[in-house]
Amino acid sequence: MFDRIEFILGEAFSALRRNTWMTFAAVTTAAIALFLLGGMTMAYLSVSRYANSLSDRLVMRVFVKEGIPRPQVEATAQTMRQIPGVKKVVLIPREAAWKKKQAEMPEITAGLENPLPDAFNVTLSDLKSAPTVATELEKLPVVEKVNRLSEVQDLLASIIALIRGLGLGLGGLMLVTSAVLIYNAIRLTIVARWREMKIMRLVGATRATIITPMLLEGMIQGALGGALAMGLLWGAYSGLGRLVTSLAALGSWPAFPAGTALGILMATGAAYGLLCSLLAVREPRRQGNR
Amino acid sequence: MRVEPAVASPRTERPYIQFDRVEVRYSELVIGLRGVSFSVNRGEFVFLCGQTGAGKSTVLRCLTREVRHTGGHVWLQGRDLGAVREREVPYLRREMGIVPQDFALLPQKKVWENVGYAMRAVGATRRHVRRAVPELLEKVNIGHRIDAFPHQLSGGEQQRVAIARALINNPSLLLADEPTGNLDPQHSLELMDVLLHLNLRGATILVATHDMAVVEKLNKRVITFAQGEIVADTGGPHV
Repeated sequence: MFDRIEFILGEAFSALRRNTWMTFAAVTTAAIALFLLGGMTMAYLSVSRYANSLSDRLVMRVFVKEGIPRPQVEATAQTMRQIPGVKKVVLIPREAAWKKKQAEMPEITAGLENPLPDAFNVTLSDLKSAPTVATELEKLPVVEKVNRLSEVQDLLASIIALIRGLGLGLGGLMLVTSAVLIYNAIRLTIVARWREMKIMRLVGATRATIITPMLLEGMIQGALGGALAMGLLWGAYSGLGRLVTSLAALGSWPAFPAGTALGILMATGAAYGLLCSLLAVREPRRQGNR
Repeated sequence: MRVEPAVASPRTERPYIQFDRVEVRYSELVIGLRGVSFSVNRGEFVFLCGQTGAGKSTVLRCLTREVRHTGGHVWLQGRDLGAVREREVPYLRREMGIVPQDFALLPQKKVWENVGYAMRAVGATRRHVRRAVPELLEKVNIGHRIDAFPHQLSGGEQQRVAIARALINNPSLLLADEPTGNLDPQHSLELMDVLLHLNLRGATILVATHDMAVVEKLNKRVITFAQGEIVADTGGPHV
């Protein structure tokens, strides 16, 4: 058993060593594809994080009609929380708002009656739902006015939707492209090894013995590509971090998650390599010939 | 795993190889064999002759199951090869030695490594390879070039290495497809000498060739093919 494993591993590694240029081509191709894929994923995650943080900051101010009793106002807060797209509702009582205003502008507010109505700060869970939420809020009987901030919100929502769509579209495209590239690289390796395969068939080697080293070869190439992609990604991320912090004078740039990225990219690369090798070694069934 | 007879032999004693109205149709227009019937006894030495495309290589490929016949029956030691399952084919091939025309040697491996590689591919241990390879190479008179690379060998020497590799499973049947195709007359005769020697030790040998000089010199049974049919047979169980 140990002898068999040694033979199969030996075959896989000797093929990698012997076909140096082919291996180099396959590894770099996989690395570039995984780098693009990883980069796109990171960009998508960053944009999503930014979108979420943005929705926390964009709050709609909803004013309540005059003379509405406080219990009814508080009940309305519950109703608002049920509206899809609403994350948080905070009641700002008119007394508290006036107190704040007085503290901010004592000269102007001195001697005046409190003219402010009760209000709500409504935080959105999803920026895209802003117009719908605003319309729903306006329908409520106690609501006097909704400060929509609609133009800003609509614009941002459109931009984020576009970036998300682009991320998904380009990411998917990269996924397919990298699969085709790895498949081609493995197929070329197999074509280069036709003589070994022919000899194995002639002397009666089983199909498992013939293809297992090639599957391992594909997995190793994919995993090496993943490791290289992690290095490229790390470099690009650090470079971008330096640029952004110097331009925007930001204090810190989030650290690159090297361990996670290495694990994910190597595992993805190995899985890709295996999948593409499996596709590449399959034999078409033809009538009569084998 | 061993290949068991899938269909019982209808007669008590069958020839070693029997082709019974065998037809091979590669496509609608390309036909390899057209209802070919012949038999070969154990220990025979048979030449399969004919021009390129006559069907002689197809006969060998039917026996190795590289090609599956589309009509008739092929029997090997009483076993119907049409009934052998795909996963059993590698084990069937271990019962025969196959010598291809192009030698199929690995250029970056030495002579002993070429033979050892094939042995390792069918499950031999390192220890067994170390012991058996020199013996195999001696058997075909190439033991003195054990550390040479294929490009350092003559065509005849390369073909002997290919024969040594075909003998790794100690087969009782040796199939050679145009073994002298790339050799000069002198080396062709030396190679035939090796095959005759193996035949004298009991191996059944089928050689597909169009090298009539060699065929005439050896004076063995000759089956001649033309356009997928047998047009002449100089001897054999059914003649």
